[in-house]
Amino acid sequence: MVMPIADSPRRDNHDLQRCLLSPAAETRLFWRLRVLVGRSLLQGAMRTARLQVISVGLACSALWIGLFALFAGGFYFMQTGLVHSGMRTQLIHAVFNLFFLALTIMLVFSAAIILYGGLYRSEEVPHLLTTPTRAERIVQHKFEETAFFSCWGFLLMASPMLLAYGMVVGAAWYYYALLLPFVISFVLVPAGIGANLCLLVVRLIPTARVHALVSVGMLAVAVTGFFGYRALAYNNKDVMTPTWFQDVLTRLQFSEQRLLPSWWLSTGLLEAAEPADSPESRPAWRESLLFLTVLTSNALLLNLLLGRVANWALRPSFSALQGLTRANRRAKVGLFDRFIFAISRPLPNATRHLIVKDLRIFRRDPVQWSQFAIFFGLLSLYFFNVRRFDYSGVMERWVILVSFFNVAVVGLLLSTFTTRFILPAISLEGRRFWILGTAPITRDTVLWGKFWFACGGSALPCCTLVLLSDLALRIPARSTSIALLHQFSCLALCSGLSAMAVGFGARLPNLRESSPSRIAAGFGGTLNLVLSSLYITAIIVCTAVPCFLWHDTDSGASAAGMFVGGYIGLGTTASVAAGAVATLVLGAITTVFPLRMGLRAFRRLEF
Amino acid sequence: MIELCGLTRRFGPKTAVSNLDLQVPSGELFAFLGPNGAGKTTTIKMMVGLLQPTEGAARICGFDVRTQTREANLRTGYVPDQPYLYEKLSGREFLNFVSQLYGMPASCAAKSIAEQIETFELGRFVDDLAESYSHGMKQRLVFASSLVHSPEVLIVDEPMVGLDPRSMRLVKDLLRAKVNGGMTVFMSTHTLAIAEEIADRIGVVANGKLLFLGTVAQLRTQLSSDESLEQLFLTLTEEAMDNGHADR
Repeated sequence: MVMPIADSPRRDNHDLQRCLLSPAAETRLFWRLRVLVGRSLLQGAMRTARLQVISVGLACSALWIGLFALFAGGFYFMQTGLVHSGMRTQLIHAVFNLFFLALTIMLVFSAAIILYGGLYRSEEVPHLLTTPTRAERIVQHKFEETAFFSCWGFLLMASPMLLAYGMVVGAAWYYYALLLPFVISFVLVPAGIGANLCLLVVRLIPTARVHALVSVGMLAVAVTGFFGYRALAYNNKDVMTPTWFQDVLTRLQFSEQRLLPSWWLSTGLLEAAEPADSPESRPAWRESLLFLTVLTSNALLLNLLLGRVANWALRPSFSALQGLTRANRRAKVGLFDRFIFAISRPLPNATRHLIVKDLRIFRRDPVQWSQFAIFFGLLSLYFFNVRRFDYSGVMERWVILVSFFNVAVVGLLLSTFTTRFILPAISLEGRRFWILGTAPITRDTVLWGKFWFACGGSALPCCTLVLLSDLALRIPARSTSIALLHQFSCLALCSGLSAMAVGFGARLPNLRESSPSRIAAGFGGTLNLVLSSLYITAIIVCTAVPCFLWHDTDSGASAAGMFVGGYIGLGTTASVAAGAVATLVLGAITTVFPLRMGLRAFRRLEF
Repeated sequence: MIELCGLTRRFGPKTAVSNLDLQVPSGELFAFLGPNGAGKTTTIKMMVGLLQPTEGAARICGFDVRTQTREANLRTGYVPDQPYLYEKLSGREFLNFVSQLYGMPASCAAKSIAEQIETFELGRFVDDLAESYSHGMKQRLVFASSLVHSPEVLIVDEPMVGLDPRSMRLVKDLLRAKVNGGMTVFMSTHTLAIAEEIADRIGVVANGKLLFLGTVAQLRTQLSSDESLEQLFLTLTEEAMDNGHADR
């Protein structure tokens, strides 16, 4: 028995009044919290997820180096290829303005969405709201996270471009010194706009917040589409002529509006990179500092405004969102469920029921189907636009390669979905094992249900996308066998990627975690993503290389195919057939082995 | 100490809490009872500033929770039904953070944290990360964090969920000791035996309306019955629930 319990000394009201923290003390306290949590996260990641940290680091480095090489090559071409300095300056200004304008728009939206999730969907904020913390500080705490995520992505994308430009034009030291202050102050402007918008929308129209976001998003897409079309619509015959060039630059002038933060950033940086014309003229860095001041003061103003908006909006908007009633949704057995149940007749009855159950969960969870729809929609848009490029002449021989790249893109997209949704589903099923584990079905049935759901569900949209790409590139007209091989590769990808996600999900489950995204970000998810990428690469190499060389040889487009074909057998019909067989074997191995591994592990798993 | 004046909260067409008038003075342990969906958690959320009332007001130590939220929260300790802990902080770091949030001087905070660690027997795991705690350990840490700043009012939503018998005894003794020391405790619970054992007064709520306010003895008198609190509770709420269903 734990007795007795001494009461703590009470404090009088006078003492309590002094306990309300000053804004500065609150700021220091939350920074200390952030340091503690950050340190703990880092130590934990290095202890338990070293592979994941290293993989992410390597992937980011590879992306950064690739972007740097791309930008350096581009700027070098402009510097040496465009002899007319006026045209060169105009072009570089246009590139900078357009690039940063696009990032500004993306940052506004991403900041608004990230902050919404951080404020209204996290478990931390309700906890903080019951403490005497200022609403302003809570929002600031979450806004700092938002800005950090935005800044991180921005740095990854913009830093290779800015460093490459500085190196190509031979910028002075102060250009590099000013990069970080410019980037930070710039990111805070669109992030601040997005954060203010988020709070205002939720406070003023809590019931229509999603509609408001979708409307603004659609408007942004429409405006971007309009300006993009206006800028890029041209007559194919005029391409790369000075008239066309001047015309495009004129059409891009909308990105040079003086009130755009992207213009302040690009002009400030370009000024810093310029050498001073003469000792008497004002040094370039002073001009650059003016733009940095404009950016910083606007960032600070928006931050100040955010504090005021937070004090006014956070508690009422939080309360209003909590109070929203969800309309009662009566679950119905749709025609689609019946159709799936009917076409899966060859499978065992229990497996069919599991497939229909997973399908209903997928359909009723907007997070799952909306991501699926957005990414596959964007890919469809790209495939529709592939036909805009002119593939006659010198481009002809690359069409086959592009078509295989498109298959690879579909595979990569699918691998992110299998890692994000199928792999965690096994762990989540484990949490619900009180029902499935005690039902009169074998554990194998559960995994087979997941596999058929993933494989069958992905095959239709993926094969349709590949067909769309082939039609846009006119592949069936060029070679029906290649179009068929694309479909075959796509099916092999669907089967292998689904089996890997199911297998690794069962072999490396995380039964403690309830968040699918965190399960996907763990060791199993990282391993699955890395191995999926290797599998996709292997399948594409097996099919694309022989086909490319065979098509070259067949059409007589290049001597390379004939040369290689003559000596090592590539470029022949037999080599294409061998590639198809290799794909079949690889697909079978990648389907069977992970599934067997997963089934064995799942049978032994203790819940 | 706690004053609820005409407290009402509507969610669309549904009234979760309807015109609730209640006063809980200093040094009283008040148990708030009601069936699922009666409006207990909604009332508590309005008392701690998570929800704003549609009408009426909640006051803690004279401070209106809606307009003087910080002042009211400063005097309140809150144990929610689903508590949040920073998984990547240890129990001690969490207690430190909470004591600093309430502006406690360092020496006072250290003394209070040491007391809570001893009272709730956290010493064995207080320096481990919270992600490794069991439900009972987390619940004990949350209790400790709600008391670390010596609040004048303690609001507890379902305090016994997940606690083992030893911890339940600990919490019951602790709540009584705090009340004897002058603290006001507002406790929502489904465990009627605990309410009967430690509460000074009880309030029974159903469909957002307060059906009864008084002691268990007064409830027996009102219903002219010597039955257990469980039977009295069922008798009292059955009719209200039937009316509620008929209204829909």
